Amino acid sequence: MSSDVIDPQVEVQQLERENRILKKKLERSNANCLNLEETAQKKESLLRQVIHELGESKESEALLEKQSCELEQALKDLKRTQTQLVQAEKMSSLGQLVAGIAHEINNPVNFIHGNLNHVQDYAQNLLDFVQLYQSHYPNPTPEIQIEAEEIDLEFIQTDLPKILDSMKMGTDRIRQIVLSLRNFSRMDEAEFKTVDIHEGIDSTLLILQHRLKDKPESPSIQVIRNYGDLPLVACYPGQLNQAFMNILANAIDALEEVNTKRTYEEIRENPSQITIETSLVDSTSVKISISDNGIGMPESVQQRIFDPFFTTKAVGKGTGMGMSISHQIITEKHGGRLDCFSTPGKRTEFMIQIPVHH
Amino acid sequence: MLFAVGHSNDPDSQTAISEVLAQIHTTLAGTSPKGGVLFAAIDFDHALILHRVIKAFPDINLIGGTTDGEMSSVLGFEQDSLTLMVFCSDEVTITAGMGRGLSKDVTAASHSAVQQAKANHKEDIQFCISLPESLTTSGALILDSLKQALGARVPIFGGLTADQWRSEQTYQFFQTEVCSDAVPILLFSGPILFSHGIASGWQPIGKPGRVTKAESNVVYEIDDQPALAFYQRYLGDLPPSSEYPLALFDADSNRYYMRAPIEIHDATIGSIIFFGDVPVQSMVQITETTHDNILAASRQSTQQALENYPGQAPAAALFFSCASRRQILGSRTGEEYEQAQHCLTQPLPSCGFYTNGEIAPLQQHGTTYFHNETFITLLLGAE
Ligand SMILES: Nc1ncnc2c1ncn2[C@@H]1O[C@H](COP(=O)(O)OP(=O)(O)O)[C@@H](O)[C@H]1O
Ligand SMILES: [Mg+2]
Repeated sequence: MSSDVIDPQVEVQQLERENRILKKKLERSNANCLNLEETAQKKESLLRQVIHELGESKESEALLEKQSCELEQALKDLKRTQTQLVQAEKMSSLGQLVAGIAHEINNPVNFIHGNLNHVQDYAQNLLDFVQLYQSHYPNPTPEIQIEAEEIDLEFIQTDLPKILDSMKMGTDRIRQIVLSLRNFSRMDEAEFKTVDIHEGIDSTLLILQHRLKDKPESPSIQVIRNYGDLPLVACYPGQLNQAFMNILANAIDALEEVNTKRTYEEIRENPSQITIETSLVDSTSVKISISDNGIGMPESVQQRIFDPFFTTKAVGKGTGMGMSISHQIITEKHGGRLDCFSTPGKRTEFMIQIPVHH
Repeated sequence: MLFAVGHSNDPDSQTAISEVLAQIHTTLAGTSPKGGVLFAAIDFDHALILHRVIKAFPDINLIGGTTDGEMSSVLGFEQDSLTLMVFCSDEVTITAGMGRGLSKDVTAASHSAVQQAKANHKEDIQFCISLPESLTTSGALILDSLKQALGARVPIFGGLTADQWRSEQTYQFFQTEVCSDAVPILLFSGPILFSHGIASGWQPIGKPGRVTKAESNVVYEIDDQPALAFYQRYLGDLPPSSEYPLALFDADSNRYYMRAPIEIHDATIGSIIFFGDVPVQSMVQITETTHDNILAASRQSTQQALENYPGQAPAAALFFSCASRRQILGSRTGEEYEQAQHCLTQPLPSCGFYTNGEIAPLQQHGTTYFHNETFITLLLGAE
C-alpha cells in the first residue's frame, strides 16, 4: 500500500479556501434568486399593464395586435429566463457541493478499501498459522487452553473472515454511492457526451434510495426495470440525470400521497410501484418511460405541469420547477419530447423520447 | 505609464489582499505606484485591507469604496471579491483627497476634498475620479458641488459606493481610512491621455406623465396623483426599485435621461426618493430593458471610448456599471465585462465595479453628469 506524497498543510489550506468561496457563493445565491424573482415579477406586471393599456386605446387594431403579440412573447421569454436563472444558479452551487463532497469521501474510502485486501490476507495468514499450531500441538498447555476459551478462539476463527467480508461489502457500497454522486452531479455537464442511459437512471435511483426504502409506515416502493437494448446516447449527462431525478421524485411524491390514506397492510397487498421501461423507437431515437401507480392527476393539472412555478404541493414542499426544467432539458437541450399520460387515482406515465445522435 | 491590477475572490480579507498584492508585485517588478483605486465587496475587513496596501506601497495615493460586484482583467466579473488597480508614472501627478460629512454640508465636504487633493499640482488638472457615498445625500448634489470646487472644465468619472443591494450602509476609502457619508477623489495632471464612453440600454414604455409636485430628489405627485400610484399602476404592489427608472424627457426634443428610484419616501402620501433631482413639470415615462439591450450598451460604451481615444492605444481601462444592470442580468452579468472586452484589440489591464450611480460627461471633455443604469468605460494611457 503506497500513498501519494502531497503536503497535507497546503492541501488543507487550498480546501479551506475553496470552501470559503463556495459558502459565500451559496449564501449569495439565495439572495440573488430572491432579487431576480422580484425583478422579474415587476417586469411581468409592467408588461401586463402595458398590454392592457394597448387594448384600452383603440387606435390601430392591427398594429396593436402585433405589439401585444410581441409583448406576450417578451413575457413568455421573461418567464423562461427567470426559470433558467434561478435554477442555473442553484443547481451549479449544489452540483459543485455534491461533486466536492464526493471527491473528499473518495480518497479515504479508497484507502480503507485498498487496505482491507491486505488486512484480509494477513488475517487469513494468521488464522492458517493458528490452525497449523493446533494440528501440530493438539494438546496445548493449560494456560493456552484457558486463554483460548476466554477469547472464544473458535468463534473468532469463523467470525473474523465474515466481518472482513461484510466490511468490504460496506466500502464497496460507499464507493458505489460516491460514484453515483459524481455521476449525477457531473461537472462536465457542459460537454456533450455519448453515455449509457441506464447508468444515469441507476445512479439517480441510488441517490433516491432512502426514499424508496422500507419505512415504519409503509413497505418499500418496488422499482421494476425493463431495460431494452439501447445504444449509447449523445447527451448532456448531468442535465439528463436531473430530468430523471425530477420525474422520479414526483413519482415518489405521488406514491407517498396515496399511501397517507392506506395502512401498512393495504400497501403490502397492493404495493407502490415505479416502472422504468426503455426501448429503441427506431434506429434514430430512444424511449424512456417512467410510470407510477400513485395519485395520478386530473386533466386540469396535466395541462399545466410544464408551466414554471405550477405546483399542487404545499408551500415549502413543491417549487413547481421540476417539470418545467425537465421539459426544457429534454426538448430544447436534446431535441426530444416529453409526454405525460395520467389517470386520476390510478397511474401516471412520463414518456421521454430523445434522438440517439443530436 | 505603468498600470497593474490584482483581483481575489477569497472571502477571507487577509488571504484576499495577500493574493491581490502578490499579483500586482509580479507586474510592477519593483516600481512604486503613485495612485490606486480599490473596489471591495461589503463584507470584507476594509481597515485591514487598506493597512496592507499602504504598507506594501508607502507612496500610493489611494481611494476606494464598497461595491455591488467587481470586475477586472484578472478574474472577469465576480461578487464578494476584492480588486485593486495601481498607477505608476514619473511625469503624471496623482493626488488624493477626502471630504467627510456630506449629509451635514455637501458643499463644505466636496470643497475640502478638492482643496486637499489640488494642493500638490503644478499643472492643470486633467480629470478627476471620485467614489462618493450613495445613501445619505443625492448623487446629483454631490456632483454639483464637486464641479463647483474643481471648475466645470475638469471632467469627473466614477461611481457611487454600494452595498450589494442592501441599502444599509456603504463605505468610502482614503489611504487607511474607512468612512461613510464621505467623498474621496483622485486628481490627475501631466501627460496622461484619456477618453470615455457611456451607454445604457433602457427604453421608455407605457403612458407618459407630468411631474406635478417634487422637491429636489423627492417626487410627490405625477399627474396630480401620488408618485407611488404611477409606479404601482405598472409594478403592482412591489416597491419601485432602480431597475425600473423613469425617463425624463427634454422640454421639446425626444431625448431623455434616467432617474432611478431609491425607495419609498413616505408611504402614506406616496412619495418616492430618487438617485438625483427630478424637476417639476418634467415629462416622465417608466422604462424597461432586456438582457440583450443591456449587453449591447456595454459594448457600445467601450467602442465609443476607443473611437475617442486621443493616442495610439490605451494602456488600461476602468469600468463603472450600474448595480441595476447586474440585478437584471443575473447570471449573465459576466457577459457584460466580456462584451466590453470584445472591442479591444489587445487585452488591457482593467478594473471596475457595480455602482449605485455613475458619473461621467455626456461628451468628451463636456460637462459632467450624474447617471443611473449606465455603463461607463474610462480608457487611460500615456502620451
Ligand atoms: N407522477 C406524478 N403524479 C401526480 N402528479 C404529478 C406527477 N408528476 C408531477 N405531478 C404534478 O405536477 C406538478 C408539478 O410538478 P413539478 O414541476 O415537479 O413541481 P413540484 O413537484 O415542485 O410541485 C406537481 O405539483 C404535481 O401536481
Ligand atoms: Mg417535483
